[in-house]
Amino acid sequence: MRFLTMATVAALATVSFSAQAHGPSRQKVSESIEINAPADKVWKIVGNFQDGSWIPVVEKTEGKGGNEVKATRTLTLKGGATVVEELAKYDDAKKTFMYRIDKVDVKVLPVNDYSSTIEVEDAGGKTKLTWKGAFYRGYMNNDPPPDLNDEASKKAVSDLYKASLTNVKEKAEKGS
Amino acid sequence: MSHRLGLPLFFLTVLLTAVPTFAQEAYVTAQLAGEVAVVDLGQAKVIAHIPLDGAPAGIALSPDRRTAYVTRPEGQSVAVLDLDARKVTASLAVPGGPLGICVDPQTGTVYVADWYASRVFVLAPAPEGLKQTGEIAVGKSPSGLAVTPDGRSLLVANREADSVSVVDLATARESQKIAVGQHPFGLTLSADGRRAYTANVTSNDVSVIDVAARREIGRVKTGDRPYVVALAGGRGFVTDQYSNTVTAFGLDDLKPAGTIDVEDHPEGIAAAKDGKTLYVANWGDNSLSVIDAGTLKVTGKIAVPDGPRAFGDFLR
Repeated sequence: MRFLTMATVAALATVSFSAQAHGPSRQKVSESIEINAPADKVWKIVGNFQDGSWIPVVEKTEGKGGNEVKATRTLTLKGGATVVEELAKYDDAKKTFMYRIDKVDVKVLPVNDYSSTIEVEDAGGKTKLTWKGAFYRGYMNNDPPPDLNDEASKKAVSDLYKASLTNVKEKAEKGS
Repeated sequence: MSHRLGLPLFFLTVLLTAVPTFAQEAYVTAQLAGEVAVVDLGQAKVIAHIPLDGAPAGIALSPDRRTAYVTRPEGQSVAVLDLDARKVTASLAVPGGPLGICVDPQTGTVYVADWYASRVFVLAPAPEGLKQTGEIAVGKSPSGLAVTPDGRSLLVANREADSVSVVDLATARESQKIAVGQHPFGLTLSADGRRAYTANVTSNDVSVIDVAARREIGRVKTGDRPYVVALAGGRGFVTDQYSNTVTAFGLDDLKPAGTIDVEDHPEGIAAAKDGKTLYVANWGDNSLSVIDAGTLKVTGKIAVPDGPRAFGDFLR
């Protein structure tokens, strides 16, 4: 179990990478969901940087620095792959934080220079939960293979966001 | 009474209707929307959309300011835009990853950096739009570039080589490499051509270059992931992509002058003709922030289409 399917990983076996930092056009993805629960309750689920368990594929979160800027965490995914991330901004009052991926294999998530923001907003007693990401595609040069092009990278991120937001909605609406 | 008021009113009317023709325009490459958006800076709104696919990013204007050249890194070409007609009139295919672009203010020759290689393409205006007339070897991953006002030298920031190439345009060859900070991206020349400034993406600083001496003479600390520098009112202003700020510094003392909060992922920045106002393209927020160069305050925000980059000379 990874962010991607095993079929994608197999297709990547023959791809070689240059040392380039990234391609020339950064992409963005934004997904939102309305949750029938108060914003405080949703923030309790997603607002601790040291607990990524609301993301379905995450098995374990280990980190240091709490919710302070420059705190780090390593997400271990079901299947053993890891993602190393660093907190860049955190605002408990506004219920939002931003972090970056420091290290991820493109086989796990086909992105480079990835940053993302979580926002929890009150919507008249309900909650609007938003997850936004900015990143370059998985392949850093021209003529990307289909699994690492802009569309594939956006789809992988979008699918991850949607599954996670749905999971938070279920958790929050279930009570307690 | 009405007769006496008639004349001043007439002049007033003429003055008011004349204002828009003097207002400056911004040409914002909206990379994700696939267009160049025309922004009337007086009205503070987008007044026209010029569709352009291929992920438009870099922009430079002809010496007469009537033509824009826009790089399309995903379309592997450079588009020619008639700014008065607001139309794409031609496009020239170039290989690799065309991103940074500039125009020689003396001859109108266009230089395009190939981000994926170590070369700059030389393109000449032609009846059909543009034609390629040469290629110049520089450092790895050239990005920002500019020609000195006297037309003698082309300066190129080599992102992966941590250097600036100086190209002697008489021979069209690199004559020198100047070491700068880590991963220089945007490159900006002072109006007199004596200083050049690179925004160094991974060392989080700006390198100040003495162009005649061919060496770096100073370093200014910036926010996280600086993109490009603009100059106005004796200060430098650099966009910090990851901090969502603009860092201001004094051009004489090279000391920090302030930090200005803008929106998500600020990239292209340029100063208006009067030197009093700066415009910043916020890639993440789909807006232009308007900054007062004197007070260092944000005075307005203009909505623009998706993914504005405006990397280059985007005001006229």
